[in-house]
Amino acid sequence: MPEAPITPDSVIELLTSEHILEPQEPIAPDTDLFTLGLDSMAMMQLLLQIEERFRLSVIPAEMTRDRFATAGALATFLDEKRRLAA
Amino acid sequence: MPTFPATTVDFFLAGLESFMVRSGQGRHWAVTALWLKGKPDAAALKEAWEQVHARHLMLGARLRRKWRGWRLVWESDGPLQAPPISWQALSGQADETTLIQERLRGFVFGQAIQKPLFLEVFGDAATGRHLVLLTWRHALMDGTGVNLLLEKLAAPSDASPPSVPEAPQESPALLYQRARPLMNRLHAMTRTGCRSAWSKGLPESGGAPEFQLIQLTDEQSSRAAEKLRQLCGEFFQMPFYAAVAVRALRTLHESRGWCSPEIHLHLPAQGRKRSQDLVFGGQFGTLPLFLESSALGTLDAAVAHVQQCYKDALKQGLPQASEALMALARQMPVRWFIPMVRLQNRGQICSLFHSHTGAFLPGRSDFAGAAVENVCTIPSVSTPPGLGLFFSDYAGKISATISWRSGSLTADEVAAVRASVSADLAG
Repeated sequence: MPEAPITPDSVIELLTSEHILEPQEPIAPDTDLFTLGLDSMAMMQLLLQIEERFRLSVIPAEMTRDRFATAGALATFLDEKRRLAA
Repeated sequence: MPTFPATTVDFFLAGLESFMVRSGQGRHWAVTALWLKGKPDAAALKEAWEQVHARHLMLGARLRRKWRGWRLVWESDGPLQAPPISWQALSGQADETTLIQERLRGFVFGQAIQKPLFLEVFGDAATGRHLVLLTWRHALMDGTGVNLLLEKLAAPSDASPPSVPEAPQESPALLYQRARPLMNRLHAMTRTGCRSAWSKGLPESGGAPEFQLIQLTDEQSSRAAEKLRQLCGEFFQMPFYAAVAVRALRTLHESRGWCSPEIHLHLPAQGRKRSQDLVFGGQFGTLPLFLESSALGTLDAAVAHVQQCYKDALKQGLPQASEALMALARQMPVRWFIPMVRLQNRGQICSLFHSHTGAFLPGRSDFAGAAVENVCTIPSVSTPPGLGLFFSDYAGKISATISWRSGSLTADEVAAVRASVSADLAG
């Protein structure tokens, strides 16, 4: 059975349910994640959860600011990465 | 009398300072230095400085126990009177290093600093450059708090009520359960013979705080940024700087002929709910990493090892265990906490600075109307560990601070640490 696509909502759900980010306002697909506190520790937690939930491993060369700037951009990157790996 | 809840890390920093004072090391001071291309606007700086003191009652607060519930709180007498900003000419004074060194010892031109924050501006008549020194008590603030404070000092702003830190309340039994993984790990560390720069035989009272600053040129900074990008991606700085720091300590161990199978690295962990206004109490604990010395042979290997240990520590819940341990310790008198501080510091090289959160003063090109050339922080360190390495990144300019206690390291050892850091960053 094909896996469900990775959407901005699934990324937002991952960020909040795992307490990677705990903003006072809801996260929108285009909210800047760095201003919400995506620091090194949050980043490592995020990479761990991406591995566990989406079974994807992100390498340093793929860790660009643009790809991780918003939940929307991250979902697009991860979904594309999974499609290419299939 | 206004009171504020004390966070777990407030207690840790207070315990650390108490340990330093009781062992004759003095208070835990740090200096943040800003180099400006021109003269800052005196009126704007004064207004922002007074705003900070009027709005942040924490600046005049002391840690106190409440009789009811033995609760630790910050108690304030009200707004603190802002001390005058000191304006001086740089020429004719001592050089920058001597100025910073005296402030790390808690003195300004021979007078003991009485306030938790002290601001000075030194002008160089020949070049027009100005050096701003902000001396601050580490027991009150962490590095990220100072970064937020600098934002507030950079320009006066409209009044807004400051945030206060949150203090978690949990039962000691639950805290003990959560703290167990870390307690077990700390005991394992002592069994393996983990060592810092300090060792038995060196005086615990430590010497005076000493430091050296490595300010990379633009070309060297670009090289370091490229290395960082290749090893950790564009914005995941912490593993890179941590690897540079632990490799420097390994170099020191090797030069002494010491065998320390593990190196204990403490990283400050920031609260996720931190708002831009939370100058105080934003750090909730530390993330302890226990690195295998044998896995630090090359920078690439060291970065990969730090990343793996980082990942393992998160899987094992060590940040939560660290927070729980501090919350548990908070219920003790500070003097009972001191043995734990000593244990935690054993084998610990340093708590890294801004590298874990990203760039220093991101997006800000001016301070009180003057263009910023560079900014970095120079904290004093306690013995043990006796040595700290700290990294700052301002607008792509990378600086590293080697901070130690006189007597902990010889001049040759400092040179070896410096060479290791410089080679790893930009070699």
